[in-house]
Amino acid sequence: MKVLIIEDEESLQKSIQQYITAEGRTCDCASTFDSAYQKLSIYDYDCILLDLTLPDGEGLELLRYLKKLNKTDGVLIISARDAIDQRIEGLQLGADDYLVKPFHLSELNARITAIIRRRNFAGNNLVVFREIEIDLNARKIKVNDQVLYLTRKEFDLLLYFIANKGKVISKAAAATHIWGDDADMADSYDFIYTHIKNMRKKLTDAGCKDYFQSVYGIGYKFTDS
Amino acid sequence: MKLFSSYNRILLVISLTGLTFIGLLFYKTLSFYLDRQIDDGLLEELMEVQDFTHSKNILPAPNYYQDLVVEYKQILKLTNISTFADTTYYNPKKHRQEAARYLKTDISLGHQAYQVLIICSKVQRNEEILIICLIIIIPFLALLMILYLVNRVLIKRLWSPFRQLLMNIKSFNLNHDESFEPVTTTIEEFRELSTAIEDLSFKIRSDYKEIKLFTENASHEMMTPLAVINSRLDTMLQSTRLGAEESETLIDLYKATSKLTKLNQSLLLLVKIDNNLIMDTEKVSVMDMVMEKQAFFNELIHKRNIKIELHLDPVYLTVSRQLFDILINNMFSNAIRHNYDGGLINIKLTERHMAFSNTGNSGPLREELIFERFYKDPASEGTGLGLAILKQICNRQNYHLNYSYENQLHIFTVSFN
Repeated sequence: MKVLIIEDEESLQKSIQQYITAEGRTCDCASTFDSAYQKLSIYDYDCILLDLTLPDGEGLELLRYLKKLNKTDGVLIISARDAIDQRIEGLQLGADDYLVKPFHLSELNARITAIIRRRNFAGNNLVVFREIEIDLNARKIKVNDQVLYLTRKEFDLLLYFIANKGKVISKAAAATHIWGDDADMADSYDFIYTHIKNMRKKLTDAGCKDYFQSVYGIGYKFTDS
Repeated sequence: MKLFSSYNRILLVISLTGLTFIGLLFYKTLSFYLDRQIDDGLLEELMEVQDFTHSKNILPAPNYYQDLVVEYKQILKLTNISTFADTTYYNPKKHRQEAARYLKTDISLGHQAYQVLIICSKVQRNEEILIICLIIIIPFLALLMILYLVNRVLIKRLWSPFRQLLMNIKSFNLNHDESFEPVTTTIEEFRELSTAIEDLSFKIRSDYKEIKLFTENASHEMMTPLAVINSRLDTMLQSTRLGAEESETLIDLYKATSKLTKLNQSLLLLVKIDNNLIMDTEKVSVMDMVMEKQAFFNELIHKRNIKIELHLDPVYLTVSRQLFDILINNMFSNAIRHNYDGGLINIKLTERHMAFSNTGNSGPLREELIFERFYKDPASEGTGLGLAILKQICNRQNYHLNYSYENQLHIFTVSFN
């Protein structure tokens, strides 16, 4: 699986690359409009991260070019501008998702995973992690073939952790994933703790191994190692 | 006091004083002149009496006519004093006292001295004076009245561009798109004033625009560095050498970054609302939106044992869904954020109002300050922009936002029009 990162801010590009390169995923980077243009002409990607403001061109132009080439690469726009018009235009031009800067890498990763999943397994929306099986269409979870009931927020959190398996997810990132802009509310961090505690209990009660690891009160890691 | 009334007051005082003075002078002169005429008549009468005495050597018979009375009185010694003066006398025909003028003098008949008193009525003369005065004063007063009315109409018309100008200045609002409306007039002073104000409004508008643009650009420019910080923190978090101390540092950094991000987003949102960039109006069910938000915040409300009371009527409004969502969101999060554990939130929705009441640790807030940007409770973790955004959204939608404190409850009411 190949991902192209089109981003002019080197430091951001580097940390994105570092974070999302894993498990048979390779990353390509482009810092300018021209180099991105060339790479898009030559290679096919599973997902393209596209910054809209590039030093030598408009990111949306690349999207138009991609459409002209009839390529079906997944596109995730990452932009500092949160303008509705731009968002709509981007999505109309065939982008799959739109993420506003600043974002948590775990959020970015979850979205990339979702895009790639949608592209590659059309129709069959199953996420499997060991004994956990998640049907995204029906929003149902099975552990060892037994149905497990989670609340909506717990379901979203579990999916988020599985998408970022092996990574530490800060409470801030998890809270933002659930609450959006209101994640700074004093209690929301405590709430992540409560959610995860409940989820852990439900999972282990269903005979699932405990994959959650707490990291110094800063966050959690979902891992099978 | 209005300029016109002040001007009129001065004018009225001067004209009335002038009128009184002139009237008095006129009356005095006329009286004096007419008195002289009567006195001449009296002298003539006296001469007739004297002629009569000289020729006949007897006094004429005392006379008691209607307006002329002649009387004689014997006196001891002849004096050469003759006096003219005012008096009253009894008019035998009309049977009443009347104002009159008399001449008192002495004459001699043989060796006997007599005092002669000739009285002449002044009634007719007084009537004359009255008529003359009226003939002059009534038209004069009428003229004054007409002048006053003309003045009134004229000044009203002359000042009408000024009034229009004032109205346009009052209706000028930086937050609205209409520019200042100049006033067309032939009066140079007002034209100049209008032009000056128009220039000023252009300048204010462009300065304001620049400030907004600056805020927008600054906030946007900060987003990329913030993204770098955030992503770097996320990368650091993956390090296997992370200890307790480093973790604590990371938590603080996350908090600060998230606060800065929130601040930036709020500023951008304010600019967007200011610039009227969010205009997608549609019919929304307010009741459904409130219930959705309640579900969204459900866990936070329950965890703090906050009791929530809903009195919702099915209300539909044609608004921007995005803005209204932010509005409800801010009202909700305020009510939760500034509440205490086990507190109360009451939400009331009717056709006309939406009111969020909540218990809180602080006493009544200062209404004139809380909607200011960056005003916040020292203990608050927020950005200090939440209520400013609320206010701005309400301004945009022509809603009225009001704060009150009753029965230990902070009440924020949005009145729809």
